[in-house]
Amino acid sequence: MRIALVTTYPPSRGSLNEYAYHFINHLRTKPEVKEIFVLADELPTDSAYPPDDASSGLASLKIIPCWQFGDWRNALRIRKAVRQIKPDVVLFNLQFATFADKRISGALGLLAPWMAKSSRTLSAVLLHNIMETVDLNKAGFGGNQLLENVTRIAGNLFTRMLLKADLVAVTIPKYVDILTEKYGAKHVVLAPHGAFEEIPEPSYDLPNDVIQIMTFGKFGTYKTVGALIEAFQQLQETHSQPLELVIAGTDSPNTPGYLDGIRKQYAHVKNVRYTGYVREEEVPRIFSEAAVVAFPYNSTTGSSGVLHQAGSYGKAVVLPKLGDFAELITEEGYTGEFFEPDDPQSMATAIAKFIENPEYRRQLGTQNYIAASGLPMNEVVDWYLLHFDRLLAKYNFTPVSKAQEAH
Amino acid sequence: MELIHRTVNSVDVLELSGRFDAYEVPMVVEWFEANPDVKQVVVNLHGVGFIDSSGLSALVKGLKRCRQNNGDLYLSNPQQAVSIIFELTRFDKAFSIYDEVQNAIEGFST
Repeated sequence: MRIALVTTYPPSRGSLNEYAYHFINHLRTKPEVKEIFVLADELPTDSAYPPDDASSGLASLKIIPCWQFGDWRNALRIRKAVRQIKPDVVLFNLQFATFADKRISGALGLLAPWMAKSSRTLSAVLLHNIMETVDLNKAGFGGNQLLENVTRIAGNLFTRMLLKADLVAVTIPKYVDILTEKYGAKHVVLAPHGAFEEIPEPSYDLPNDVIQIMTFGKFGTYKTVGALIEAFQQLQETHSQPLELVIAGTDSPNTPGYLDGIRKQYAHVKNVRYTGYVREEEVPRIFSEAAVVAFPYNSTTGSSGVLHQAGSYGKAVVLPKLGDFAELITEEGYTGEFFEPDDPQSMATAIAKFIENPEYRRQLGTQNYIAASGLPMNEVVDWYLLHFDRLLAKYNFTPVSKAQEAH
Repeated sequence: MELIHRTVNSVDVLELSGRFDAYEVPMVVEWFEANPDVKQVVVNLHGVGFIDSSGLSALVKGLKRCRQNNGDLYLSNPQQAVSIIFELTRFDKAFSIYDEVQNAIEGFST
């Protein structure tokens, strides 16, 4: 298969350049892919793309700078390049501001997938965001309300143009729902973002004999530690093992002085350690030393970055039974022991399961590590290739590589 | 998750049950690695109540392996929750999916 990718690519600093770099590296390892052309943005004169690479065992790689950020002619220039290359598939790695930070140039660039398709090339779009969920101000397209409304209407029109591609991939299920329901699109697929690199498997052994229960974050709003300290107090009374509670982090900016108050209120509880601000380089040690990571939350707004961190360090976790939080994290592959929010007894029971059963602690830690590792990008690339194969067969296109073999 | 293998008319039938997620995927991946020459496979999903992206990926790998060997991998009996994931990823268009395992087996002879 001969594949062209329209994207930014390092050393270009355009957004999605890192994604493209890793995606292409994985794509090159696939035996069914013979040639890759990167239709990249033009670089400043003091910078250059890597030379053509035809390393043995990998698909050949050629980078062709053929568009420029901010130029209104990008779609035309890309179509010209596609016509010259004649790929089996052209994949656009896009977000709404890929081609420009000005409305008109940016929008015109988004016509490129449709124009590529009109050249009788299978066109696919990987759309990293959709207009319905973009904060126009943060994306640099803000202004007064009228202008924002006009931008959104235009955005809807250009979304329809993007949907003219033969395949539109998005990385979040909600985006599939929106594009399917609002635009009636039947060719939008969910394809996970993919993990660039594999997270090395952590050790599930504890570095010392003291069993640490750790909580991590900014405390005082929906993350409160009073019930956790009371649970810890109960655990110390009922268990003979040496225990330590580590409260890692600071006050939430909205609740200054919260942890000072807690420290005074629970001064009588022994073996509680407050770390204060945790520097980035200290984070691995803090997580590695913990036997259990606790999430003493009384509300949530979705998944949890700390849970992802705990998973990447292979930790068992105790979590609150809150709304659809359990369902959400279970769907992501995580698992833990659940407790009633703000209930010390329930929290102590959940933590005790890991203190009393080290094998169970390791088992759940392993499962959380697997969940945090995510789907490797190498496998996500196979998803795309499967769709390309299906569509090439559907439209009766013969991949260039196979046509060459036939001759 | 459980994996039960049987052979019917030279078609390998894998009966899966339970959660098909990242934790359970190695069982299926290892089966394909242990059977590199496999050509015609039916994966019966009747007993699978949950599938995540890792489970889907394992099926994609299996499909690639079968097609490399000039065969194919068919699916049968997905529960509704699993069918929804296939629709979301449009893998319902990439895989041949049958209502009954017997129909999937017969699909190889037609």
